[in-house]
Amino acid sequence: MSERNRIRSLFTLVQLNGLIPIRTQPLYLVNLIASPLSFLFFIWIVSKGADLAYGVMGGMVLTMLSVGTGLQSDLTHYRHDLKFQDIVVASPVEAPVYVAGLALSELVYSLPALAVFGILFVYYGFATLTSSVVLIGALLLVWSFATAFAFTLSTYFQDVRETWMFSPIFSLVLTVLPPVYYPISYLPGWAQLAARFSPTTYAAELVQGAVGLQPLSFTSATFDWVVLGAFTAALFFIAAFKARWKDP
Amino acid sequence: MGYAIRTDHLRKVYPGAKGGSAALEDLSLDIPDGRVYGVIGRNGAGKTTFLRIAATQLERSSGSATVLGHDVATEERAIRARIACVPQESRPLYFLNVEEVVYLYLKLRGLDPAESRTRTKDALDQLSLTEFRRRSVARLSGGLRRRVLCAMVLASDAEILFLDEPTTGLDPIARREVWEAIRRAIRERRTILLTTHYLDEAEALSTRLALFERGRLVLEGTPEDLRARVRFPYRVTIYGSVPRAELESYGRVSAIEGGSLVFAREAESRELARMALERGLRVSLGPVSLEDIFLEVVGKSIDDETPPPEVES
Repeated sequence: MSERNRIRSLFTLVQLNGLIPIRTQPLYLVNLIASPLSFLFFIWIVSKGADLAYGVMGGMVLTMLSVGTGLQSDLTHYRHDLKFQDIVVASPVEAPVYVAGLALSELVYSLPALAVFGILFVYYGFATLTSSVVLIGALLLVWSFATAFAFTLSTYFQDVRETWMFSPIFSLVLTVLPPVYYPISYLPGWAQLAARFSPTTYAAELVQGAVGLQPLSFTSATFDWVVLGAFTAALFFIAAFKARWKDP
Repeated sequence: MGYAIRTDHLRKVYPGAKGGSAALEDLSLDIPDGRVYGVIGRNGAGKTTFLRIAATQLERSSGSATVLGHDVATEERAIRARIACVPQESRPLYFLNVEEVVYLYLKLRGLDPAESRTRTKDALDQLSLTEFRRRSVARLSGGLRRRVLCAMVLASDAEILFLDEPTTGLDPIARREVWEAIRRAIRERRTILLTTHYLDEAEALSTRLALFERGRLVLEGTPEDLRARVRFPYRVTIYGSVPRAELESYGRVSAIEGGSLVFAREAESRELARMALERGLRVSLGPVSLEDIFLEVVGKSIDDETPPPEVES
């Protein structure tokens, strides 16, 4: 398949799994904004507005992770219920194009949430060139590892119901327990250590540091980028070798 | 004549299969190009396993298989560029309309928008789907959905089409429209690997047939070859009373409503028909159907739902 055809396939998948379903059911757009806004509201009430900025930054990270959760459900549904993956396997479309296309299409659903949080990001005066670059970079890495993780898992699930079971666990381990919505210093020592096993901890540190919510040295920031990058690379490696494009 | 698909001692054991029982065993088969090749068999016979290995959707356990000269285990990319498949029990994405299913599939395969539009229009016309083109898939009957999937792959530029029970659930008229579209694809020199439960469909469309039972190939050839290989290639239907012992001297006898059905060799069947006519009975004589052949070879009807033990299809 030529590069031109790969790009065409990619955008066809965005159209097929993103734009057209939203056209037929606009409520899909509300789905991805509900959880991050709920957290934001909760933080606003509990902290009396003091930690709202954490809610904004955390909301963006959660939105990107939710793309992975949605992708996992769609991939499993398409694979088992509709046999769409089998149709795609027996075609010139390669696995990375299929996954990237569907992951991009999930991003379409997250646009309203990103727009709301983007407005708040600017409203709170966080928007500088450096903070924007760090934010975009960190969010892209979160989206990437969530995509790789979702694809690998979806190829092992036997039914879409398994993804419903897994999604809350996914959210708990990657967004609630790690300090995505609050500073890591709020956690007791043992929990801080446990949080280090979650890639979202590093993404949160980077975005919180970039907007000045937490002090972050150059060395710590570099370490966070390396670890977040390594997590992402490892998940892509696992996806490349362990995800089942062809059934065993 | 070239071969589109070739297998040599192909074997498949699904991971976790109890006792290591094979879903496909020692399959050696050459499928010529540019024709419809029918694969028939009961549930669990190994039809879908074979089709999925050839369509590069499923790993083989041992043996070899090539599609258009490329190895299914190591050259999937070269194969996938030239094939298309309608899997068993597949459904089009329900939020698309009929036209979008076909058009977006073609674009997904890399065809340019203009060509995709033209091919979509032609395919919808051929399968009498034009009137439904704006209708959401969610509002279609099961049969129409299968037809849309057939239109999708028939519209593609693929050289080999894998159709796994493509007409299941279609009414007789819709089935014939799919048959006509398949015949048209053959006129374009494409190869179609068709699995089906409908023996009339297999016979009407296929140049050659393979009969699978319990993961093994039990009979292969043209419909005429298959007839020639069974013990009793003719069927005589007699309406009226003839002693069973007398009929058994001609061949294998089955009772039917109002008479008897006798499977016999050519000479015996002619003699039996003449005898029955001399007695004033109503008689029909003809070659056995594919269903009769299936029953004789397998010992069960193709609709017998008893699956082979511990074998996945």
